[in-house]
Amino acid sequence: MHGYSFLRPLIVLVLAAALSMVISVSIGSSAVALNETLSVLFGGGTELQQTLILDLRLPRTFTAFATGGLLAVAGALMQVLLRNPLADPYVLGLSGGAAVGALLAMMAGVAGVVVSGSAFAGALLSTFLVFGLAHGTGSWTPSRLLLTGVVVAAGWGALIALILAMSPARQLPGMLYWLMGDISPAANPLPGLILLALVCLLVFPLGRSLNVLARGSMQASALGVSVRPLEWVIYILASLLTATAVTMAGSVGFVGLVVPHMLRLVLGNDQRLILPACALAGGTLLVLADTLARIVIAPEQLPVGVITALLGVPTFLYLLHRSR
Amino acid sequence: MAYRFLLLFFLWISSASAELCSVDAIGREICLASPAERIVSLSPGATELVFSAGAGDRLLAVSAWSDYPEQARELPRVGDSNRLDLEAIVALKPDLVVAWVDGNSRAQLDRLSDLGINVFWLSPREFQDIANAVETLALLSGQQETGTARAARFTDGIATLKAEYRGAQPVRVFYQIWDQPLMTVNREELIGKAIELCGGVNVFGEQPRLVPRVSKEAVLEANPDAIVTSGRGESDREWLEHWKQFPGLKAVNLGNLFLEPPDLLARPTLRMLEGVRHLCQTLEQARARL
Amino acid sequence: MNPLQARQLVIDIPGRTSGQPLDFTVEPGQVWGVLGPNGVGKTTLLHTLAGLRAPRNGAVQLGERSLTDWKRRRISQQLGVVFQDRQDGFPATVLETALIGRHPWLSPWQMETVEDQRMALEALQALDVAHLQNRLVNTLSGGERQRVAIATVLAQAPDTWLLDEPTNHLDLHHQVSVLGLLKAQAAQGCSVFMCLHDLNLAARWCDHILLLFPDGDACWGPSQQMLVPAALERLYGQKLMTAEIDGAPVFVPAGSSDPQSS
Repeated sequence: MHGYSFLRPLIVLVLAAALSMVISVSIGSSAVALNETLSVLFGGGTELQQTLILDLRLPRTFTAFATGGLLAVAGALMQVLLRNPLADPYVLGLSGGAAVGALLAMMAGVAGVVVSGSAFAGALLSTFLVFGLAHGTGSWTPSRLLLTGVVVAAGWGALIALILAMSPARQLPGMLYWLMGDISPAANPLPGLILLALVCLLVFPLGRSLNVLARGSMQASALGVSVRPLEWVIYILASLLTATAVTMAGSVGFVGLVVPHMLRLVLGNDQRLILPACALAGGTLLVLADTLARIVIAPEQLPVGVITALLGVPTFLYLLHRSR
Repeated sequence: MAYRFLLLFFLWISSASAELCSVDAIGREICLASPAERIVSLSPGATELVFSAGAGDRLLAVSAWSDYPEQARELPRVGDSNRLDLEAIVALKPDLVVAWVDGNSRAQLDRLSDLGINVFWLSPREFQDIANAVETLALLSGQQETGTARAARFTDGIATLKAEYRGAQPVRVFYQIWDQPLMTVNREELIGKAIELCGGVNVFGEQPRLVPRVSKEAVLEANPDAIVTSGRGESDREWLEHWKQFPGLKAVNLGNLFLEPPDLLARPTLRMLEGVRHLCQTLEQARARL
Repeated sequence: MNPLQARQLVIDIPGRTSGQPLDFTVEPGQVWGVLGPNGVGKTTLLHTLAGLRAPRNGAVQLGERSLTDWKRRRISQQLGVVFQDRQDGFPATVLETALIGRHPWLSPWQMETVEDQRMALEALQALDVAHLQNRLVNTLSGGERQRVAIATVLAQAPDTWLLDEPTNHLDLHHQVSVLGLLKAQAAQGCSVFMCLHDLNLAARWCDHILLLFPDGDACWGPSQQMLVPAALERLYGQKLMTAEIDGAPVFVPAGSSDPQSS
């Protein structure tokens, strides 16, 4: 029965997620053995170990998990919305808007929460802009939305280039790291995790409607789905998820494109399974990528977006090859 | 010292042919028939060094961000780092252009060299390089007396500080250049050298890169005695405040979170002497609390 | 059951002048066939009757209420549509596809029940595709895919069937079994309304015919009255020869390549 066939892959993914988080928390540029890690998680360990694990690595792990999960789910939603397996959360210009917001804040010399808030505002602005422009003369199709989004994204790209060109040299590393995608140490994982959990709750009603919508808007309409309202819900939801993710970690690429795709190749096309699977797999992937980013050239750090790109491309190619 | 004699020797020889020559940081020899009177400086550091050499009144234009000394702020700008207005520079008909190896683009300025304009490249890596740069610029602009004197004061000042802090108790220091990403310096960098001069030990001194981007974890593990930064600008203690969330850090415990005046340590200029002096005093404070 | 009715209906094809208003009711037990040359608007009519396109004039009604007054979900419980094209960008299995037909009957938080599964499987069996239930739909042949689409609507169990060229891609055997199935549905009290390009299938299986002429004219009624050679020749712009087999008329285009025919 359906319920059971969902359970097994989800359980595997939950275990993978848990394992990845344990790995992430026990590895870093400073060595903390596994048994020491576990003892810290249960209240023991030296003060340094406690600080390392509880104050630094744990929040960062949660942030990475939330970001990866949000991006993967947003990617899956975008792909159904646009009826295009190559869509990703950024295709409609969202990360561009967030980037402009964040970079402007950095150029103005502010930091921390203001940069995040600015990024979020930029993402929302981009959402409304695309919404308004695509809606323009009435009829609103996935291809019209895609075209509008691509153009708006290009516009943001131009602004980003301008900001980079005009900023004083010493601000550039910070800006570049944001653009490449870097888990901000200052980010609070809680809103992201809550949002992710809420989305997973919505999976059942939302998921089946998405399955029907994936057949085509007319077929979906004929089966009783209110297509336009559903498409708006998906759009707003995907935008909200992406805006939250980008606020926490800049524009991390590939997770939103590769994870839903990978899962569909392996698990089929029932969105009620794919969406929660995306949340778990995306989170796991980003946690592992961030762990790598932290240790590959320790004590130096790489931005996590570099790792997701380097890992994402060959993985995807391999899976495509195997599925043939 | 040897370099000084060599310089005087060249001066003596070339005074006969009235040619002023010097080899720059990329190994090119620049020769001027007469002291430069139309100088363009392409980095804030170079601007300061030109003024230190006593040739500030011969500066026609400077790069953006040239803000010291005061007179520099009034001079016309010709762009910034690798976004220079080459046309404007050529139009000024300079007889000497002072460039910065890590700031300006070789390709762009070679265009100027091809047009016959003298481009002199600077790249101070040691304290001595700073003094030499001032002397060379003084030579090329016919201000030997001023320049040489100032350079000598600098060199003596550094030597004095070095002697003063030679036997000092080591203080382990983390110097923070930037917050996101977290950046510091290694011992090859001038600031790193300043730290060593003052009897400090740079906890990331052995890193291969000049400006490594490290993790917070690495800082926690290194557990320095003091954390020093110039912040983002005027009295910006924000970065230091961030470290207070780790009360286990020795530096936080001892209250060794120090804000150095920006610009004194950041630019390889004669002001660095004050910067190093200030840093040494800061580390003395830190040392006292150990 | 709420019969589907066209009330002074004029379909909207952008750029074309309005045709004759259509006014008919598809009563339970009836099997309607829509005939007309390519491009005359059969698919547009079907989509308009399904409530997926707005008419230019007039209204479509389910029972006494206009379609626009019904909730989308209630409409889909009474009207099932088999489209000509399919979008399989996100391919599901055959069984999952048939199960989609149960969507109008499930509340948002409900999973498919055993009963739903049974209905979907029975539908697949009736269309002779049950053996393919775990195959991905994009790996099927055209005919198999067509039958799965029909099975989906069978699982949906609507009162009224709207079909756009249901016999496309099907071999003779399956053409007959599908039309037989639709006839059986009508016999059980459903109504069937389908666009057909094959005149002879319409002649054999439909009891009511709607003719859509290229100039915008239309006429409809019981088959015997509509399947008049003069009207059909005008419809297709083609001379026809008529014969009768088994009590039903058969039409063959005249003007063969035989040089001896007149």
